[in-house]
Amino acid sequence: MTTYGWSGKILRVNFANNAITTEDTMKYKDYIGGMGIGYKIIYDEVPLDTHAYDEASKVVLAMGPLTGSGVPCSGRINMSFLSSWTKGYSIVDAHMGGHIAHAIKYAGYDAIIFEGKSSKPVYLKIDDDKVSIEDASHIWGKGTFEANRILVEENGESFDAATIGQAGENLVNMSCMITSVGNSGGAGVGAIFGSKNVKGFVARGTGSVKIADPKALKEASDYMLRELVGGNNNHNVPAVPQSWAEYSAPSGSNRWSGAPGRGWQKAEGGFVDMGEQPVGDIDKIGYRAHKGYFDHGEIADKYMVKVGGCSSCPIRCYAQYDIDPLADYDLPTKVSNTCMPIIYQAAWYPEGIKDFVDEGDANIVICGAGARAVDDYGLWDNYGNIQRDFNYCYKSGILKEKLSTEEYNSIPWDLMIEGDPRWVVEIVRRISMNEGEIAKIGLGTYLLVKEWDLGQEYLDVEYLQNVTYNGYPKHHSAEDVWQTGLLYNIMYNRDCMIHHMTNVIQSGSPYEIYRKILEDEFGEGAVDKPKHYTPMNRSKAKLAKWAFLGKQWHDMATLCNWMYPMTLSPSKERGYKGDHNLDAMYMAAVTGENWSREDVDLASERVSNMLRVMTAISFDIHEGSKNLRKDHDAIPAWVFDKEPDFKAFEAGTVKMDRDDMEIAKTMFYEEMGWDTETGIPTRETLERLGLGYMADDLEKRGLLPA
Amino acid sequence: MCENKSQNKLDQMLSQEMTRRKFMKISGKSLAGLTVSASLLSLMGCTQEQVDSDAITVWTMPTGLLVVNQAKCTGCQRCEINCTLVNDGEASSHISRVKVTRNLMDNDGHGTYQDDWVYFPDTCRQCDQPWCGEACPVEAIYADENGVKHIDQEKCVGCGACVGACPWHMPTLNPETKKSSKCILCGSCIEGCVTGALAMVPWDAVTAAEQKTRKQ
Repeated sequence: MTTYGWSGKILRVNFANNAITTEDTMKYKDYIGGMGIGYKIIYDEVPLDTHAYDEASKVVLAMGPLTGSGVPCSGRINMSFLSSWTKGYSIVDAHMGGHIAHAIKYAGYDAIIFEGKSSKPVYLKIDDDKVSIEDASHIWGKGTFEANRILVEENGESFDAATIGQAGENLVNMSCMITSVGNSGGAGVGAIFGSKNVKGFVARGTGSVKIADPKALKEASDYMLRELVGGNNNHNVPAVPQSWAEYSAPSGSNRWSGAPGRGWQKAEGGFVDMGEQPVGDIDKIGYRAHKGYFDHGEIADKYMVKVGGCSSCPIRCYAQYDIDPLADYDLPTKVSNTCMPIIYQAAWYPEGIKDFVDEGDANIVICGAGARAVDDYGLWDNYGNIQRDFNYCYKSGILKEKLSTEEYNSIPWDLMIEGDPRWVVEIVRRISMNEGEIAKIGLGTYLLVKEWDLGQEYLDVEYLQNVTYNGYPKHHSAEDVWQTGLLYNIMYNRDCMIHHMTNVIQSGSPYEIYRKILEDEFGEGAVDKPKHYTPMNRSKAKLAKWAFLGKQWHDMATLCNWMYPMTLSPSKERGYKGDHNLDAMYMAAVTGENWSREDVDLASERVSNMLRVMTAISFDIHEGSKNLRKDHDAIPAWVFDKEPDFKAFEAGTVKMDRDDMEIAKTMFYEEMGWDTETGIPTRETLERLGLGYMADDLEKRGLLPA
Repeated sequence: MCENKSQNKLDQMLSQEMTRRKFMKISGKSLAGLTVSASLLSLMGCTQEQVDSDAITVWTMPTGLLVVNQAKCTGCQRCEINCTLVNDGEASSHISRVKVTRNLMDNDGHGTYQDDWVYFPDTCRQCDQPWCGEACPVEAIYADENGVKHIDQEKCVGCGACVGACPWHMPTLNPETKKSSKCILCGSCIEGCVTGALAMVPWDAVTAAEQKTRKQ
């Protein structure tokens, strides 16, 4: 029987006994794919008291029915596993783009379960239905750039690769996996693979994703491309005025940064001008995202070769650079990235950085060196926490206190002080190679605090940006949507990775337009005026629930949460309104089944509750806690105490109010159907979602709310 | 006889390669008897510098000039997606009639993993004397009234001779249907290209540009 959307098979690879088997995906259909399949398999097969690096630990790499289907922005992979580095050591996800998700789907697999531990370094080779475990001794110890290149060259045409670097091999908690030179899956997944002696995998697929109604799918895709999609992060107005556009960003900056006169100076054959990109012109969409300009301004053009991104995505959010000043330091010059690695490396230089060739080029050159280094070593930055921990510990004297004199003096501080790009490479090397006490920074913030006995007050420091006491920072939080943003930031066991609201708020679209669009759906008062927020209300709780559930959907389907949902549109004719029914339209066209938005929401709510239940069980096991509200969802003091000259709710501040946030939590738990005292799902909620077995489990453990 | 035929084919291939790599560059001004004017370059969405740097490949097609601009190809694979959605009713890279994935990772020392991001959508040349058609043992490959080569799916026996015969391996044997397929110039890939790295300039537009240039 043809399976539409889903490839139909899950690949299970046991690296202890080299057993390679397949299973029917459809037994997990209620969980859709990606994160959903991952959570179900981890819950069923890995006891939550398992240490992340134990042989019993597993990684479930999974795609969904939309991955590789041709739906725009469907090139993503979700990897689920137990955390090695956060309070509670519960379930976490790594999210990886690039091109390899398509290859795995076309090879015939919806998911791969990595289990057991190999006795020697190996990699997994997937060549359609020929799957084998191959020797990786020749690439063990190498960085991801060289390892991926060697694997692709060795295996041949159309193979893609993903590997871990030295950080993963050395069991550094802050480690990732890299594909397509810069597409990264983080959250510590590198070291889970490293603990299994698995360097990575290669994939080639000559098959296809079957589509129930290809005509409807093509029409829906074209509809999205012509009418709904904007720029990077789906910002729906250009950063600067374009002749066709009614609006542009008032600040002159957003992630739709491509514009006439801007472009790629190092392209083959000279400058490529990104020009105007009117609504409806599909052949111009790829020029809307100019992340280089957004990150570094005009200087970026000097080093841009072209733009890149994931399979199927029209928004090319990766800036691909040839930063030649790095050659003077014998460092690689080619850099491709879109996220923290290419914007946040100056934080390794607490004494500051300085320009190289042109005025204002310090940051792009240093970030180029740093991006290349972290991606090569496979070091994950925990959304900037690793740099902030280093920076703060240096400035506050903690490093001097914790490192031996011998080690401290062995560190080439002169490179750091001079703003030399080799400094970032050296500090990344030390942490990735687990070399010395300074490498403890690679434990992650939560364990670093324990290891160096820094106390809870360390997590209350504003500069460090921790959004809970669990070890990870805010990720588009209260600064965008106040209580709403903060609520979904504290739901996970890593930074939240939700872009639903920052995509709208930072779009540059007029407030009155997006307020009406959102309030029509979520109720009056859902969205406050920029820089002037008001006390918590029910509409904000509904908005927070929508964003929280929606992110899970994207990691199940899989779709890119930097782009979806299509809340806004660049089309004046549409009144700038997007279409929240699009995901269901895609599901119906791809699978041939009846899918409504309610179906999408229900599936998302199911997996969102699995996250919550597994987190509750983990906190009980590892922290002796039976109250997530108190012990998982606690918010550090800086969020409420920052900006001392302001009071909460005054115009101009993002300072939050303690009592108001407690009201916010209560309202959110009520919307979610969770017990308001503990923040744990009730039996009624779990049974409504087909998770009665999880209610039983909670009850057995004494965690089920009365 | 056979040798002569092979020699002719070799000449044809070389001449097509000439078109691909050097034709515009050699004269700097002419393409298939046309003047490469600023207005024609504008229609093709490229610059003389891109032509001179070999970033541009131009194929003369029955319907117009097919322009491939590798400086603009960003590797999104939407050309392949559109091709297979429209022609096969499914999403795939391998059976796509336009091919970018095979160039994307590693192509002769270029590509994503070779640190230069040089990749491009490869297309059927619609040869006048098609290698694929002449190799087909059951004469399943035929030209339509416009000169576009099609594969008769009824006749195709899936032997793969066309795949092997094409110097650029553009026809593809579908591993599931066991039938071969090739580009029929439907235009879906061009329609789906989000950076204009693939473009078709219709002959009437080319002619208009020519006339405009001559008047000047």
